[in-house]
Amino acid sequence: MKLKLVLITFISAAVFLFALFIGPEPMSPFNMSGIEKEIIFSIRLPRVLVSLFMGMALGASGAVLQGILRNPLADPYILGISSGAALTAAFGIITGLSLFGIFTVPLLAFIGAVIAGIFVGAMGWKRGGFWPERLLLAGVGLGFLFSSLLMLILSISSDAKLKRAALWMFGDLSLADWSIIPFGFIFIAAGIAVSLSKAKALNALMLGDDLAHSLGFSPKRERFILFISVGLMTAASVSLGGMVGFIGLLIPHTGRFIAGSDSRALIPVSALGGGMLLCIADLIGKSVLSPVELPAGIITAVLGAPYFLYLLRRRDVLGA
Amino acid sequence: MSSAPEVHMLDFNDAAFSYDKHMPFIRGVSFSVDNGEFIGLLGANGSGKSTILKLAGGILKASAGEVKLWGKPIASYGNRDRAKLLSYLPQMLDTGIPFTVRELASMGLYPYDIMPGISVEDALEAAGLKEKSGAHISSLSGGEKRRAYIAMTLLQGAGLLLLDEPLANLDIKYQIELIKLLKNLREKRGISLIMALHDINTAMQFDRLIVIKEGRLLGSGRPESVLTKELLKEAFDVEVEIKREDSGGVYIKY
Repeated sequence: MKLKLVLITFISAAVFLFALFIGPEPMSPFNMSGIEKEIIFSIRLPRVLVSLFMGMALGASGAVLQGILRNPLADPYILGISSGAALTAAFGIITGLSLFGIFTVPLLAFIGAVIAGIFVGAMGWKRGGFWPERLLLAGVGLGFLFSSLLMLILSISSDAKLKRAALWMFGDLSLADWSIIPFGFIFIAAGIAVSLSKAKALNALMLGDDLAHSLGFSPKRERFILFISVGLMTAASVSLGGMVGFIGLLIPHTGRFIAGSDSRALIPVSALGGGMLLCIADLIGKSVLSPVELPAGIITAVLGAPYFLYLLRRRDVLGA
Repeated sequence: MSSAPEVHMLDFNDAAFSYDKHMPFIRGVSFSVDNGEFIGLLGANGSGKSTILKLAGGILKASAGEVKLWGKPIASYGNRDRAKLLSYLPQMLDTGIPFTVRELASMGLYPYDIMPGISVEDALEAAGLKEKSGAHISSLSGGEKRRAYIAMTLLQGAGLLLLDEPLANLDIKYQIELIKLLKNLREKRGISLIMALHDINTAMQFDRLIVIKEGRLLGSGRPESVLTKELLKEAFDVEVEIKREDSGGVYIKY
Protein backbone atom coordinates (compact mmCIF):
# COMPACT_ATOMS: atom_id res chain seq x y z
CA MET A 1 0.00 0.00 0.00
CA LYS A 2 2.83 2.38 0.87
CA LEU A 3 4.31 1.76 -2.58
CA LYS A 4 1.01 2.68 -4.24
CA LEU A 5 0.83 5.88 -2.19
CA VAL A 6 4.38 6.86 -3.16
CA LEU A 7 3.58 6.09 -6.80
CA ILE A 8 0.40 8.18 -6.75
CA THR A 9 2.29 11.04 -5.07
CA PHE A 10 4.87 10.96 -7.88
CA ILE A 11 2.17 10.86 -10.56
CA SER A 12 0.41 13.82 -8.88
CA ALA A 13 3.65 15.78 -8.83
CA ALA A 14 4.15 15.00 -12.54
CA VAL A 15 0.59 16.11 -13.38
CA PHE A 16 1.15 19.28 -11.35
CA LEU A 17 4.31 20.12 -13.30
CA PHE A 18 2.65 19.18 -16.57
CA ALA A 19 -0.27 21.55 -15.88
CA LEU A 20 2.18 24.26 -14.86
CA PHE A 21 4.51 24.14 -17.86
CA ILE A 22 2.40 22.73 -20.70
CA GLY A 23 -0.86 24.71 -20.49
CA PRO A 24 -2.31 26.23 -23.69
CA GLU A 25 1.20 27.57 -24.46
CA PRO A 26 3.94 25.06 -23.53
CA MET A 27 7.01 26.48 -21.78
CA SER A 28 10.29 24.85 -20.96
CA PRO A 29 11.21 25.02 -17.27
CA PHE A 30 14.90 25.08 -18.23
CA ASN A 31 14.86 27.95 -20.66
CA MET A 32 12.36 30.64 -19.66
CA SER A 33 12.27 34.27 -20.70
CA GLY A 34 11.42 37.00 -18.19
CA ILE A 35 7.83 37.19 -19.42
CA GLU A 36 7.45 33.42 -19.25
CA LYS A 37 8.73 33.45 -15.67
CA GLU A 38 6.22 36.14 -14.86
CA ILE A 39 3.40 34.11 -16.45
CA ILE A 40 4.42 30.99 -14.54
CA PHE A 41 4.70 32.68 -11.14
CA SER A 42 1.90 35.23 -11.34
CA ILE A 43 -0.73 33.38 -13.35
CA ARG A 44 -0.13 29.68 -13.77
CA LEU A 45 1.37 28.68 -10.42
CA PRO A 46 -1.43 30.23 -8.30
CA ARG A 47 -4.01 28.71 -10.64
CA VAL A 48 -2.49 25.23 -10.58
CA LEU A 49 -2.10 25.47 -6.79
CA VAL A 50 -5.76 26.48 -6.40
CA SER A 51 -6.78 23.53 -8.64
CA LEU A 52 -4.61 21.20 -6.59
CA PHE A 53 -5.88 22.39 -3.19
CA MET A 54 -9.53 22.51 -4.25
CA GLY A 55 -9.33 19.07 -5.83
CA MET A 56 -7.59 17.67 -2.76
CA ALA A 57 -10.23 19.15 -0.45
CA LEU A 58 -13.11 17.81 -2.54
CA GLY A 59 -11.59 14.34 -3.00
CA ALA A 60 -10.78 13.93 0.69
CA SER A 61 -14.15 15.39 1.77
CA GLY A 62 -15.98 12.96 -0.50
CA ALA A 63 -14.14 9.99 1.00
CA VAL A 64 -14.92 11.17 4.55
CA LEU A 65 -18.56 12.02 3.83
CA GLN A 66 -19.36 8.74 2.11
CA GLY A 67 -18.08 7.15 5.33
CA ILE A 68 -19.81 9.29 7.95
CA LEU A 69 -23.09 9.40 6.05
CA ARG A 70 -22.71 5.69 5.18
CA ASN A 71 -23.87 6.50 1.68
CA PRO A 72 -21.81 5.76 -1.45
CA LEU A 73 -23.54 8.55 -3.37
CA ALA A 74 -22.66 11.31 -0.89
CA ASP A 75 -20.37 14.13 -1.97
CA PRO A 76 -19.28 17.40 -0.34
CA TYR A 77 -22.03 19.33 -2.09
CA ILE A 78 -24.86 17.10 -0.90
CA LEU A 79 -24.78 18.82 2.49
CA GLY A 80 -26.00 22.10 1.00
CA ILE A 81 -22.76 23.81 2.04
CA SER A 82 -21.90 24.72 -1.54
CA SER A 83 -25.42 26.00 -2.23
CA GLY A 84 -25.07 28.32 0.75
CA ALA A 85 -21.73 29.51 -0.59
CA ALA A 86 -23.17 29.98 -4.08
CA LEU A 87 -26.02 32.07 -2.70
CA THR A 88 -23.82 34.52 -0.81
CA ALA A 89 -21.12 34.61 -3.52
CA ALA A 90 -23.72 35.31 -6.23
CA PHE A 91 -25.21 38.00 -4.01
CA GLY A 92 -21.77 39.62 -3.81
CA ILE A 93 -21.17 39.36 -7.57
CA ILE A 94 -24.64 40.61 -8.58
CA THR A 95 -24.70 43.53 -6.16
CA GLY A 96 -21.09 44.40 -7.01
CA LEU A 97 -20.04 44.39 -3.37
CA SER A 98 -16.34 45.16 -3.00
CA LEU A 99 -16.05 45.75 0.72
CA PHE A 100 -12.89 43.63 1.01
CA GLY A 101 -11.50 44.11 -2.48
CA ILE A 102 -10.38 40.87 -4.09
CA PHE A 103 -11.34 38.97 -0.93
CA THR A 104 -15.02 39.96 -1.12
CA VAL A 105 -16.41 37.03 -3.14
CA PRO A 106 -14.23 34.32 -1.53
CA LEU A 107 -15.06 35.68 1.91
CA LEU A 108 -18.79 35.83 1.15
CA ALA A 109 -18.64 32.28 -0.21
CA PHE A 110 -16.84 31.10 2.92
CA ILE A 111 -19.36 32.82 5.19
CA GLY A 112 -22.27 31.37 3.19
CA ALA A 113 -20.73 27.89 3.36
CA VAL A 114 -20.16 28.09 7.11
CA ILE A 115 -23.68 29.40 7.79
CA ALA A 116 -25.18 26.66 5.60
CA GLY A 117 -23.00 24.08 7.41
CA ILE A 118 -24.25 25.33 10.79
CA PHE A 119 -27.87 25.12 9.58
CA VAL A 120 -27.43 21.58 8.25
CA GLY A 121 -25.56 20.57 11.40
CA ALA A 122 -28.30 21.98 13.63
CA MET A 123 -30.99 20.14 11.70
CA GLY A 124 -29.01 16.91 11.63
CA TRP A 125 -28.49 17.05 15.41
CA LYS A 126 -30.60 14.94 17.73
CA ARG A 127 -29.99 13.51 21.21
CA GLY A 128 -26.44 14.81 21.51
CA GLY A 129 -25.10 13.82 18.09
CA PHE A 130 -25.38 13.97 14.32
CA TRP A 131 -27.63 11.40 12.68
CA PRO A 132 -26.43 10.46 9.18
CA GLU A 133 -29.90 10.28 7.62
CA ARG A 134 -30.96 13.57 9.18
CA LEU A 135 -27.76 15.31 7.99
CA LEU A 136 -28.30 14.00 4.49
CA LEU A 137 -31.95 15.00 4.29
CA ALA A 138 -31.28 18.39 5.93
CA GLY A 139 -28.48 18.99 3.39
CA VAL A 140 -30.65 18.08 0.43
CA GLY A 141 -33.62 20.12 1.74
CA LEU A 142 -31.59 23.23 2.56
CA GLY A 143 -29.69 22.85 -0.72
CA PHE A 144 -33.00 23.19 -2.58
CA LEU A 145 -33.93 26.24 -0.52
CA PHE A 146 -30.59 27.96 -1.16
CA SER A 147 -30.71 27.08 -4.85
CA SER A 148 -34.15 28.56 -5.29
CA LEU A 149 -33.08 31.78 -3.53
CA LEU A 150 -30.04 31.82 -5.81
CA MET A 151 -32.29 31.52 -8.88
CA LEU A 152 -34.34 34.40 -7.56
CA ILE A 153 -31.24 36.59 -7.29
CA LEU A 154 -29.99 35.54 -10.73
CA SER A 155 -33.35 36.12 -12.39
CA ILE A 156 -33.31 39.80 -11.48
CA SER A 157 -29.67 40.50 -12.33
CA SER A 158 -28.05 42.06 -15.42
CA ASP A 159 -26.58 39.86 -18.18
CA ALA A 160 -22.90 40.68 -17.53
CA LYS A 161 -23.13 39.95 -13.85
CA LEU A 162 -25.22 36.88 -14.57
CA LYS A 163 -22.45 35.43 -16.74
CA ARG A 164 -19.83 36.16 -14.08
CA ALA A 165 -21.98 34.48 -11.42
CA ALA A 166 -22.67 31.49 -13.68
CA LEU A 167 -18.94 31.06 -14.35
CA TRP A 168 -18.24 31.15 -10.63
CA MET A 169 -20.87 28.51 -10.00
CA PHE A 170 -19.19 26.10 -12.39
CA GLY A 171 -15.77 26.60 -10.87
CA ASP A 172 -14.00 29.70 -12.06
CA LEU A 173 -10.32 29.14 -11.45
CA SER A 174 -9.36 32.27 -13.34
CA LEU A 175 -9.91 34.10 -10.06
CA ALA A 176 -6.90 32.29 -8.57
CA ASP A 177 -4.70 34.80 -6.80
CA TRP A 178 -1.72 34.44 -4.49
CA SER A 179 -3.38 36.54 -1.80
CA ILE A 180 -6.16 34.05 -1.01
CA ILE A 181 -4.15 30.83 -1.42
CA PRO A 182 -2.64 30.77 2.13
CA PHE A 183 -6.09 31.05 3.74
CA GLY A 184 -7.52 28.24 1.63
CA PHE A 185 -4.42 26.14 2.19
CA ILE A 186 -4.62 26.43 6.01
CA PHE A 187 -8.21 25.15 6.15
CA ILE A 188 -7.67 22.42 3.57
CA ALA A 189 -4.40 21.16 5.04
CA ALA A 190 -5.91 21.16 8.54
CA GLY A 191 -9.04 19.38 7.28
CA ILE A 192 -7.05 16.65 5.54
CA ALA A 193 -4.76 16.24 8.57
CA VAL A 194 -7.72 15.92 10.98
CA SER A 195 -9.51 13.48 8.64
CA LEU A 196 -6.37 11.36 8.36
CA SER A 197 -5.92 11.32 12.12
CA LYS A 198 -9.50 10.06 12.41
CA ALA A 199 -9.24 7.49 9.62
CA LYS A 200 -9.60 4.47 11.93
CA ALA A 201 -12.64 6.02 13.58
CA LEU A 202 -14.12 6.64 10.13
CA ASN A 203 -13.66 2.97 9.21
CA ALA A 204 -15.37 1.97 12.44
CA LEU A 205 -18.24 4.44 11.89
CA MET A 206 -18.93 2.72 8.58
CA LEU A 207 -19.82 -0.44 10.51
CA GLY A 208 -22.49 1.42 12.48
CA ASP A 209 -22.42 3.35 15.73
CA ASP A 210 -22.78 0.36 18.07
CA LEU A 211 -19.79 -1.44 16.57
CA ALA A 212 -17.74 1.77 16.47
CA HIS A 213 -18.46 2.12 20.19
CA SER A 214 -17.48 -1.49 20.80
CA LEU A 215 -14.18 -0.89 18.98
CA GLY A 216 -13.32 1.93 21.38
CA PHE A 217 -14.62 5.09 19.69
CA SER A 218 -17.21 7.66 20.66
CA PRO A 219 -19.33 7.69 17.46
CA LYS A 220 -20.99 11.02 18.18
CA ARG A 221 -17.72 12.81 18.93
CA GLU A 222 -15.88 11.31 15.95
CA ARG A 223 -18.71 12.13 13.54
CA PHE A 224 -18.85 15.70 14.88
CA ILE A 225 -15.11 16.28 14.38
CA LEU A 226 -15.18 14.76 10.89
CA PHE A 227 -18.24 16.81 9.91
CA ILE A 228 -16.56 20.04 11.03
CA SER A 229 -13.34 19.22 9.15
CA VAL A 230 -15.26 18.33 5.97
CA GLY A 231 -17.40 21.47 6.31
CA LEU A 232 -14.36 23.73 6.60
CA MET A 233 -12.52 22.00 3.76
CA THR A 234 -15.55 22.34 1.48
CA ALA A 235 -16.06 25.98 2.49
CA ALA A 236 -12.39 26.77 1.81
CA SER A 237 -12.52 24.96 -1.53
CA VAL A 238 -15.66 26.76 -2.70
CA SER A 239 -14.25 30.12 -1.66
CA LEU A 240 -11.01 29.48 -3.59
CA GLY A 241 -12.61 28.88 -6.96
CA GLY A 242 -16.36 28.30 -6.89
CA MET A 243 -18.20 25.04 -7.26
CA VAL A 244 -16.57 22.13 -9.03
CA GLY A 245 -18.90 19.17 -9.16
CA PHE A 246 -18.40 15.41 -9.21
CA ILE A 247 -14.83 15.29 -7.87
CA GLY A 248 -16.11 14.51 -4.39
CA LEU A 249 -18.31 11.73 -5.76
CA LEU A 250 -16.11 10.34 -8.50
CA ILE A 251 -12.69 10.28 -6.88
CA PRO A 252 -13.39 8.25 -3.69
CA HIS A 253 -14.97 5.47 -5.77
CA THR A 254 -12.02 5.44 -8.15
CA GLY A 255 -9.73 5.53 -5.10
CA ARG A 256 -11.40 2.39 -3.74
CA PHE A 257 -10.49 0.49 -6.89
CA ILE A 258 -6.87 1.52 -6.47
CA ALA A 259 -6.31 1.57 -2.73
CA GLY A 260 -9.18 -0.38 -1.14
CA SER A 261 -11.67 1.03 1.34
CA ASP A 262 -9.46 1.50 4.39
CA SER A 263 -9.77 5.25 5.03
CA ARG A 264 -6.10 5.43 6.07
CA ALA A 265 -5.23 4.83 2.41
CA LEU A 266 -8.42 6.10 0.79
CA ILE A 267 -8.24 9.65 2.21
CA PRO A 268 -4.72 10.45 0.91
CA VAL A 269 -5.38 8.69 -2.41
CA SER A 270 -8.67 10.59 -2.85
CA ALA A 271 -6.98 13.88 -1.96
CA LEU A 272 -4.19 13.32 -4.50
CA GLY A 273 -6.62 11.98 -7.10
CA GLY A 274 -8.91 14.98 -6.65
CA GLY A 275 -5.99 17.38 -7.00
CA MET A 276 -4.82 15.62 -10.16
CA LEU A 277 -8.29 15.52 -11.74
CA LEU A 278 -8.91 19.22 -11.19
CA CYS A 279 -5.47 20.19 -12.54
CA ILE A 280 -6.19 18.13 -15.67
CA ALA A 281 -9.80 19.40 -15.97
CA ASP A 282 -8.61 23.01 -15.76
CA LEU A 283 -5.90 22.35 -18.31
CA ILE A 284 -8.50 20.88 -20.68
CA GLY A 285 -10.88 23.77 -19.96
CA LYS A 286 -8.19 26.31 -20.81
CA SER A 287 -6.99 24.46 -23.92
CA VAL A 288 -9.90 23.00 -25.93
CA LEU A 289 -11.49 26.29 -27.02
CA SER A 290 -8.50 28.55 -26.32
CA PRO A 291 -8.57 31.52 -25.90
CA VAL A 292 -12.11 30.96 -24.56
CA GLU A 293 -11.89 29.24 -21.17
CA LEU A 294 -14.39 26.60 -20.09
CA PRO A 295 -14.97 26.44 -16.32
CA ALA A 296 -13.23 23.40 -14.83
CA GLY A 297 -16.53 22.38 -13.20
CA ILE A 298 -18.05 21.77 -16.62
CA ILE A 299 -15.17 19.46 -17.57
CA THR A 300 -15.41 17.49 -14.31
CA ALA A 301 -19.20 17.25 -14.74
CA VAL A 302 -18.86 15.98 -18.31
CA LEU A 303 -16.43 13.34 -17.06
CA GLY A 304 -18.31 12.72 -13.82
CA ALA A 305 -21.94 12.43 -14.93
CA PRO A 306 -21.48 9.29 -17.06
CA TYR A 307 -19.47 7.73 -14.23
CA PHE A 308 -22.23 8.60 -11.78
CA LEU A 309 -24.77 6.80 -13.99
CA TYR A 310 -22.45 3.82 -14.34
CA LEU A 311 -22.21 3.79 -10.54
CA LEU A 312 -25.97 3.55 -10.21
CA ARG A 313 -25.89 0.44 -12.36
CA ARG A 314 -23.31 -1.27 -10.18
CA ARG A 315 -24.96 -3.46 -7.61
CA ASP A 316 -21.99 -3.84 -5.27
CA VAL A 317 -21.35 -0.09 -4.95
CA LEU A 318 -24.82 0.46 -3.59
CA GLY A 319 -24.58 -2.59 -1.38
CA ALA A 320 -27.69 -4.09 -2.99
CA MET B 1 -16.08 -8.33 60.65
CA SER B 2 -17.37 -7.33 57.22
CA SER B 3 -15.69 -8.72 54.12
CA ALA B 4 -15.00 -6.64 51.00
CA PRO B 5 -17.82 -6.91 48.44
CA GLU B 6 -17.14 -9.50 45.75
CA VAL B 7 -15.97 -8.01 42.47
CA HIS B 8 -17.60 -9.57 39.41
CA MET B 9 -16.53 -9.27 35.81
CA LEU B 10 -19.90 -7.74 35.01
CA ASP B 11 -22.53 -6.78 37.55
CA PHE B 12 -26.08 -5.57 36.91
CA ASN B 13 -27.52 -4.14 40.09
CA ASP B 14 -31.22 -3.25 39.89
CA ALA B 15 -30.60 -1.73 36.45
CA ALA B 16 -33.38 0.05 34.61
CA PHE B 17 -33.64 1.71 31.24
CA SER B 18 -36.30 3.43 29.19
CA TYR B 19 -36.33 4.61 25.57
CA ASP B 20 -39.39 6.70 26.39
CA LYS B 21 -39.43 8.67 29.67
CA HIS B 22 -42.87 7.44 30.64
CA MET B 23 -42.42 3.79 29.69
CA PRO B 24 -39.68 1.86 31.50
CA PHE B 25 -38.37 -0.83 29.15
CA ILE B 26 -35.92 -2.62 31.44
CA ARG B 27 -36.77 -2.78 35.13
CA GLY B 28 -34.92 -4.01 38.20
CA VAL B 29 -32.52 -6.33 36.39
CA SER B 30 -29.80 -7.81 38.62
CA PHE B 31 -27.32 -10.50 37.69
CA SER B 32 -23.58 -10.95 37.52
CA VAL B 33 -21.11 -12.65 35.21
CA ASP B 34 -17.86 -14.15 36.39
CA ASN B 35 -14.68 -15.15 34.62
CA GLY B 36 -15.17 -18.01 32.19
CA GLU B 37 -18.97 -18.09 32.45
CA PHE B 38 -21.19 -18.66 29.40
CA ILE B 39 -24.59 -17.09 29.84
CA GLY B 40 -27.53 -17.48 27.50
CA LEU B 41 -30.09 -14.69 27.33
CA LEU B 42 -33.53 -15.97 26.43
CA GLY B 43 -36.76 -14.13 25.87
CA ALA B 44 -39.44 -13.45 23.28
CA ASN B 45 -38.95 -10.85 20.55
CA GLY B 46 -39.03 -7.38 22.08
CA SER B 47 -38.48 -8.67 25.63
CA GLY B 48 -35.34 -6.56 26.08
CA LYS B 49 -32.46 -8.94 25.27
CA SER B 50 -30.70 -6.52 22.93
CA THR B 51 -31.21 -3.63 25.35
CA ILE B 52 -29.64 -5.63 28.19
CA LEU B 53 -26.64 -6.40 25.96
CA LYS B 54 -26.30 -2.73 25.04
CA LEU B 55 -26.43 -1.77 28.73
CA ALA B 56 -23.75 -4.38 29.40
CA GLY B 57 -21.62 -2.93 26.59
CA GLY B 58 -21.95 0.65 27.85
CA ILE B 59 -23.71 1.68 24.63
CA LEU B 60 -26.79 2.60 26.62
CA LYS B 61 -26.65 4.07 30.13
CA ALA B 62 -28.85 2.68 32.87
CA SER B 63 -31.44 5.25 33.97
CA ALA B 64 -31.52 3.71 37.45
CA GLY B 65 -29.41 1.13 39.24
CA GLU B 66 -25.88 0.26 38.17
CA VAL B 67 -23.93 -1.69 35.58
CA LYS B 68 -20.36 -2.35 36.71
CA LEU B 69 -17.41 -3.81 34.85
CA TRP B 70 -14.78 -5.26 37.17
CA GLY B 71 -16.26 -3.31 40.09
CA LYS B 72 -16.28 0.09 38.40
CA PRO B 73 -19.26 1.80 36.72
CA ILE B 74 -18.99 0.98 33.03
CA ALA B 75 -19.33 4.66 32.07
CA SER B 76 -16.18 5.48 34.05
CA TYR B 77 -13.99 3.57 31.56
CA GLY B 78 -12.28 5.32 28.67
CA ASN B 79 -13.52 4.09 25.28
CA ARG B 80 -10.33 2.23 24.39
CA ASP B 81 -9.88 0.75 27.86
CA ARG B 82 -13.43 -0.57 27.77
CA ALA B 83 -12.89 -1.96 24.24
CA LYS B 84 -10.01 -4.08 25.54
CA LEU B 85 -12.25 -5.60 28.22
CA LEU B 86 -15.48 -6.25 26.36
CA SER B 87 -16.75 -6.40 22.81
CA TYR B 88 -20.28 -6.25 21.52
CA LEU B 89 -21.61 -7.68 18.27
CA PRO B 90 -25.07 -6.42 17.31
CA GLN B 91 -27.76 -8.57 15.78
CA MET B 92 -28.12 -6.39 12.70
CA LEU B 93 -24.81 -6.20 10.87
CA ASP B 94 -24.24 -3.87 7.95
CA THR B 95 -23.35 -6.16 5.09
CA GLY B 96 -23.16 -3.44 2.43
CA ILE B 97 -19.84 -2.15 3.72
CA PRO B 98 -17.05 -1.77 1.14
CA PHE B 99 -14.35 -3.64 3.11
CA THR B 100 -12.64 -6.95 2.45
CA VAL B 101 -12.75 -9.75 5.03
CA ARG B 102 -9.19 -8.96 6.13
CA GLU B 103 -9.85 -5.20 6.39
CA LEU B 104 -12.93 -5.83 8.52
CA ALA B 105 -11.30 -8.41 10.79
CA SER B 106 -8.24 -6.17 11.31
CA MET B 107 -10.45 -3.48 12.82
CA GLY B 108 -10.54 -5.66 15.93
CA LEU B 109 -7.00 -4.38 16.56
CA TYR B 110 -8.06 -0.72 16.72
CA PRO B 111 -8.10 -0.44 20.54
CA TYR B 112 -4.45 -1.55 20.65
CA ASP B 113 -1.20 0.21 19.94
CA ILE B 114 0.73 -3.06 19.87
CA MET B 115 -0.49 -6.36 18.47
CA PRO B 116 -2.24 -8.51 21.09
CA GLY B 117 -1.71 -12.28 21.27
CA ILE B 118 -3.89 -13.39 18.35
CA SER B 119 -2.93 -12.68 14.73
CA VAL B 120 -5.26 -11.73 11.86
CA GLU B 121 -4.50 -15.11 10.26
CA ASP B 122 -5.45 -16.98 13.45
CA ALA B 123 -8.73 -15.08 13.71
CA LEU B 124 -9.60 -15.71 10.06
CA GLU B 125 -8.69 -19.37 10.42
CA ALA B 126 -10.84 -19.70 13.53
CA ALA B 127 -13.77 -18.08 11.72
CA GLY B 128 -13.24 -20.39 8.71
CA LEU B 129 -12.50 -17.51 6.35
CA LYS B 130 -8.79 -17.82 5.71
CA GLU B 131 -9.38 -18.68 2.05
CA LYS B 132 -11.63 -15.65 1.60
CA SER B 133 -9.51 -13.03 3.33
CA GLY B 134 -9.33 -10.88 0.18
CA ALA B 135 -13.03 -11.16 -0.70
CA HIS B 136 -15.37 -8.20 -0.30
CA ILE B 137 -17.89 -8.54 2.51
CA SER B 138 -20.75 -7.79 0.11
CA SER B 139 -19.81 -10.83 -2.00
CA LEU B 140 -20.09 -13.31 0.91
CA SER B 141 -23.05 -15.45 1.93
CA GLY B 142 -25.10 -14.41 4.98
CA GLY B 143 -23.29 -16.85 7.26
CA GLU B 144 -19.85 -15.85 5.98
CA LYS B 145 -20.61 -12.18 6.56
CA ARG B 146 -21.48 -12.93 10.17
CA ARG B 147 -18.33 -14.99 10.58
CA ALA B 148 -16.23 -12.12 9.22
CA TYR B 149 -17.59 -9.91 12.01
CA ILE B 150 -16.93 -12.71 14.48
CA ALA B 151 -13.28 -12.80 13.28
CA MET B 152 -13.11 -9.07 14.12
CA THR B 153 -14.55 -9.72 17.58
CA LEU B 154 -12.02 -12.51 18.17
CA LEU B 155 -9.17 -10.23 17.17
CA GLN B 156 -10.41 -7.57 19.58
CA GLY B 157 -9.38 -10.07 22.23
CA ALA B 158 -11.70 -8.85 24.99
CA GLY B 159 -12.41 -11.09 27.97
CA LEU B 160 -16.18 -10.55 27.82
CA LEU B 161 -18.12 -11.05 24.59
CA LEU B 162 -21.65 -9.71 24.22
CA LEU B 163 -23.17 -11.43 21.23
CA ASP B 164 -26.66 -10.55 20.03
CA GLU B 165 -28.06 -13.59 18.23
CA PRO B 166 -24.76 -14.51 16.52
CA LEU B 167 -26.19 -17.85 15.38
CA ALA B 168 -28.93 -16.27 13.27
CA ASN B 169 -28.48 -17.08 9.54
CA LEU B 170 -25.81 -19.65 10.29
CA ASP B 171 -26.03 -23.22 9.00
CA ILE B 172 -26.09 -25.83 11.75
CA LYS B 173 -22.45 -26.67 10.85
CA TYR B 174 -21.32 -23.13 11.61
CA GLN B 175 -23.58 -22.85 14.64
CA ILE B 176 -21.82 -25.88 16.10
CA GLU B 177 -18.41 -24.62 15.00
CA LEU B 178 -18.99 -21.20 16.52
CA ILE B 179 -20.06 -22.70 19.85
CA LYS B 180 -17.01 -24.99 19.76
CA LEU B 181 -14.76 -22.07 18.91
CA LEU B 182 -16.10 -20.04 21.81
CA LYS B 183 -15.67 -22.98 24.20
CA ASN B 184 -12.13 -23.40 22.91
CA LEU B 185 -11.46 -19.71 23.58
CA ARG B 186 -12.77 -20.17 27.11
CA GLU B 187 -10.29 -22.98 27.69
CA LYS B 188 -7.38 -21.05 26.22
CA ARG B 189 -8.11 -17.52 27.31
CA GLY B 190 -10.85 -17.81 29.93
CA ILE B 191 -13.34 -15.66 28.06
CA SER B 192 -16.87 -15.10 29.31
CA LEU B 193 -19.89 -14.38 27.21
CA ILE B 194 -23.49 -13.35 27.21
CA MET B 195 -25.33 -14.49 24.12
CA ALA B 196 -28.89 -13.60 23.18
CA LEU B 197 -30.44 -16.60 21.48
CA HIS B 198 -33.67 -18.30 20.55
CA ASP B 199 -32.82 -21.95 20.16
CA ILE B 200 -33.59 -23.97 23.28
CA ASN B 201 -31.26 -26.80 22.29
CA THR B 202 -28.36 -24.36 22.00
CA ALA B 203 -29.41 -22.83 25.30
CA MET B 204 -28.68 -26.17 26.96
CA GLN B 205 -24.98 -25.67 26.14
CA PHE B 206 -24.67 -22.68 28.47
CA ASP B 207 -23.60 -22.59 32.11
CA ARG B 208 -26.45 -20.36 33.06
CA LEU B 209 -29.57 -18.98 31.43
CA ILE B 210 -31.23 -15.66 32.08
CA VAL B 211 -34.83 -15.53 30.92
CA ILE B 212 -36.51 -12.16 30.53
CA LYS B 213 -40.00 -10.98 29.80
CA GLU B 214 -41.06 -7.39 29.21
CA GLY B 215 -37.77 -6.09 30.56
CA ARG B 216 -37.85 -8.04 33.82
CA LEU B 217 -35.93 -11.07 34.96
CA LEU B 218 -38.20 -14.08 34.84
CA GLY B 219 -35.73 -16.73 35.85
CA SER B 220 -32.03 -17.40 36.13
CA GLY B 221 -29.97 -20.48 36.79
CA ARG B 222 -28.65 -23.68 35.26
CA PRO B 223 -30.45 -24.60 32.00
CA GLU B 224 -31.95 -27.82 33.32
CA SER B 225 -33.51 -26.07 36.30
CA VAL B 226 -34.63 -22.95 34.44
CA LEU B 227 -36.16 -24.54 31.36
CA THR B 228 -39.48 -25.71 32.72
CA LYS B 229 -42.81 -26.00 30.99
CA GLU B 230 -44.21 -23.26 33.24
CA LEU B 231 -41.37 -20.82 32.59
CA LEU B 232 -41.51 -21.31 28.81
CA LYS B 233 -45.25 -20.73 28.92
CA GLU B 234 -44.69 -17.53 30.88
CA ALA B 235 -41.77 -16.28 28.74
CA PHE B 236 -42.93 -17.22 25.24
CA ASP B 237 -46.64 -17.84 25.68
CA VAL B 238 -46.40 -21.39 24.29
CA GLU B 239 -47.63 -24.75 25.49
CA VAL B 240 -44.76 -27.24 25.18
CA GLU B 241 -43.60 -30.47 26.78
CA ILE B 242 -40.07 -30.71 28.12
CA LYS B 243 -38.60 -34.13 27.50
CA ARG B 244 -35.59 -35.22 29.53
CA GLU B 245 -33.54 -38.18 28.43
CA ASP B 246 -31.65 -40.48 30.75
CA SER B 247 -28.43 -39.32 29.10
CA GLY B 248 -29.14 -35.82 30.39
CA GLY B 249 -30.40 -34.37 27.11
CA VAL B 250 -33.42 -32.13 27.09
CA TYR B 251 -35.68 -31.37 24.16
CA ILE B 252 -38.97 -29.69 23.58
CA LYS B 253 -42.04 -31.38 22.15
CA TYR B 254 -45.01 -29.52 20.78
